[in-house]
Amino acid sequence: MPADAIIRPAASPSGAAAGHRLPSWFATAALLMPTYGWLLIAVFLPLCTMLVFSFMNATPMGRAPIVFTLKHYKAFITQPYLVGIAWDSLVIGFWTTFLCAVLGFFAALALARATIGRARETLLILILLPFWTNGLVRVFSWTMVLREGGFLDTLWHALLPEAGSIGFLYTRPAIVLGLVHGYLPYMILTCYIALVTIDDAIIEAAQSLGARWWTILTRVLVPLALPGLTTGAILTFVPVIGSFMEPRILGGRVGVTMGTVIEDQFTQAFNWPLGAALSFTMLAVILAIFATFSGVLRRNAGGVA
Amino acid sequence: MKALARFYLLAILVFLYLPIMVMMAMGFNDSALYELPFRFTTRWYVALSGNDQLISAGINSIVIALITAVLATLAGTMAAVALDRRAVRGRTLLQLLLLPPIAIPWLITGTAMLVFFFWTGIGRGMHALLIGHVALAIPYVVLVVGTGLRTIRSDLEEAAISLGSTPLHAFFAVTLPLLTPSILGAALFAFAVSLDQFVISYFLSTPGFATLPVQIYSAIRKGFTPEINAISTILLVGSMSVIVVFAIFARPGGARDKR
Amino acid sequence: MKITRRQTLGLLGAGAFAATAPLPFAMRPARAATKITVLNWQGYGTDEKWALEAFQKATGIEVVHDYFSSEPEMLTKLRTNPGAYDVVLINSARTQQAASEGLIEPIDFSKVANSAGLSPELRDHPNIKFEDKTYGVAWVWGITSLAITEGSAKPDSYAALADPAHKNKVALFDDAVTSVAIGALLTGQDMNNPSDLDAVKEKLKGFKDNVKLLWSSEDQWNKSFAAKEFDLSVYWSGAAVRSKRNSNLPVEFVVPKEGGIGWLDNLCIPVGAPNADAGLAFINYMIDPDFYVEWATKIGAPASANAAAMEKLPADDLNRKIHDPSYLKTMTIQSALPDDRREAFNNLWQEVKAFYAG
Repeated sequence: MPADAIIRPAASPSGAAAGHRLPSWFATAALLMPTYGWLLIAVFLPLCTMLVFSFMNATPMGRAPIVFTLKHYKAFITQPYLVGIAWDSLVIGFWTTFLCAVLGFFAALALARATIGRARETLLILILLPFWTNGLVRVFSWTMVLREGGFLDTLWHALLPEAGSIGFLYTRPAIVLGLVHGYLPYMILTCYIALVTIDDAIIEAAQSLGARWWTILTRVLVPLALPGLTTGAILTFVPVIGSFMEPRILGGRVGVTMGTVIEDQFTQAFNWPLGAALSFTMLAVILAIFATFSGVLRRNAGGVA
Repeated sequence: MKALARFYLLAILVFLYLPIMVMMAMGFNDSALYELPFRFTTRWYVALSGNDQLISAGINSIVIALITAVLATLAGTMAAVALDRRAVRGRTLLQLLLLPPIAIPWLITGTAMLVFFFWTGIGRGMHALLIGHVALAIPYVVLVVGTGLRTIRSDLEEAAISLGSTPLHAFFAVTLPLLTPSILGAALFAFAVSLDQFVISYFLSTPGFATLPVQIYSAIRKGFTPEINAISTILLVGSMSVIVVFAIFARPGGARDKR
Repeated sequence: MKITRRQTLGLLGAGAFAATAPLPFAMRPARAATKITVLNWQGYGTDEKWALEAFQKATGIEVVHDYFSSEPEMLTKLRTNPGAYDVVLINSARTQQAASEGLIEPIDFSKVANSAGLSPELRDHPNIKFEDKTYGVAWVWGITSLAITEGSAKPDSYAALADPAHKNKVALFDDAVTSVAIGALLTGQDMNNPSDLDAVKEKLKGFKDNVKLLWSSEDQWNKSFAAKEFDLSVYWSGAAVRSKRNSNLPVEFVVPKEGGIGWLDNLCIPVGAPNADAGLAFINYMIDPDFYVEWATKIGAPASANAAAMEKLPADDLNRKIHDPSYLKTMTIQSALPDDRREAFNNLWQEVKAFYAG
């Protein structure tokens, strides 16, 4: 069926085709159908159920009567410490995204400009491959690297036997490190996709006009990589806000984020409505951030072009 | 400059592989509690060979990840092409709709799926797992392929059409070859998303049917042993060898760039 | 009601069958030996391989497992999979909730011969009674209290958790009910219904400088303790035995003067269990002294609710020493919490955790 859907829309040249051909909108719809139909059944309808739950007094399981309420959406007011947690989560999200963007952009640039052919393909695969191990196992391995007396300390003491411990497990930087490790490949891949299509001629032209490397970087390469950077930022920032495994395992006492609060509501507290309300609020904040961000981007792009 | 770039790439690889190396090493460490100093043993591999549960969970994971990668890449690529190259009313809304599956923690999506699938009779089991995995992988595919499309100029395709090519032929002859690296990347991502997905698998699997992440998740409570490192190592080395073989026998050219 | 539930199950089963037919678990032989499904924590007694083999040899009943990783998840599984399970493990603090929701059946003790040996205060504990019927067979009990590194000074009070001597060397159990109980015991309140929650909150916040991590599983506790990340922690009695005996960790379990936080786990029969009688036979085996002694000495278990089983342990057994039967008379057992109180506990703990992180 998918093959069919690909061929049919394209087989009907838009507009000028013979009368018995299917209209153009039908082709577009057929292309979109599998994705959005699938998401509708598997994600949107279930999430709508959760949205309804979020207005309920308690998890609608068991015998208690269902009462509708807005109280879970007022949680940020009735439990003000949640604001602090939300802020911390956003800060962790920004740091993670920023570090991923910087590290990832230059890695993609190096990949696109300094390697060719099979070496490049192999490197790209090598960068993606750590992703194929379980996230939990990876995070757990980080604890062994970072803890006092762990691998990092062992190495450090081999160099400087007298020095103190540099293990920083159970701190904020440990959380960010674990998250950067987990999401960096996304950023490298999306930036690479954007950078690899850049024509050598553009850079050569800039060079021949006497542009310095800094100018080339900020005026040519970064703007051209922008679609990749944006997608990478979305794929990093958005899930990081809701992540709970990395904060919990690498953060110890300081590992309290919106993700862990929401997880607690679902597992320990069995308060699905509150957990759902918190995550929908979070989703709203994320959408607002991206709406602002894309508005700024569009204005800037308009100014340049 | 090139030397510096290559050194930088090497540093990134070291960073990415540091915990992987630790994971592999601990699979050969004698202590069940992952204690240092390191003492070599192969006993976890011996134990693993008798652990049918873990092995079948590993196989289940790979099968599901492969099916997920194929389905999600097909559906997602189609949607990305439509969103980028065709007139779509409500494009921004459709693009925004890709965010909730990524933004809402999987725990919530998983619970929602469990409840919804129960109500609608879809139930639990491998089919439910596949529905969930593909749904989660699709947004990644659309975003990655969409990024690729945005960087490929559409005027080439239009030129081909104006020269008498059909849109279908123009797409397959001009855009698709340029898009192949993005599609391959997206497929690798979909595979990874599925392989790593434990929350949804955990909610939607039936007793007796488990994927590797589910086994690992359940093992956190008691007995997260280096056997798990062993099977993770085998899986990783296995996929590496598949890729090496593929890279050797794949026809040269194809996705290769002009330079 | 029952019929519709069965039908739903049929649908679920059919769906699962269609998609997973090649996998062995989906093939339910029409006329083979009886098979029962047990819902429990993983690695918690009922899934010991040797025991299941012995049980199958004796009765012909095959036992398979499904696991949960939190109590609400267990309840959810019972609610969403009626007819899928024959035996379920329920903490006695949740038994009344499950019974009131119609998730579990009253127990027919005439089919559980070994129940004669159960300590009366556990067998008839008010926690597992609902409307004058008993809904669970008391199986094992234990204490949540303090664990220290062997040889260090024994704390005589939970106040040690705030003692500067343990700065950055304390691990707490990441559980709202347990944490509130500790705060309540420290402020001299009823741990099941503390009247002054603010006092509890302040006590818990006082641990901040000492808390290094919050553990949520025995496995995590073992690995962190092995890495010497803490030397004082809130811990489970049975787990302390296992950590010491199986993992050779230098841990000592201490119950301070405020008393331990008791808990009682019981085995129940879900409503609509396909093989309830086989389930009861399995429960009977689970409280059998011979099974218990083997479980407790080979693997490490909490204390059996069966007094006869406890007496069968060697006199110097660590398990027997830690679980002094005199505790049964004095300790408070965690009891059912109304929803609003549980929510208040959870919010309090969330706020304390946010304070720790800040």
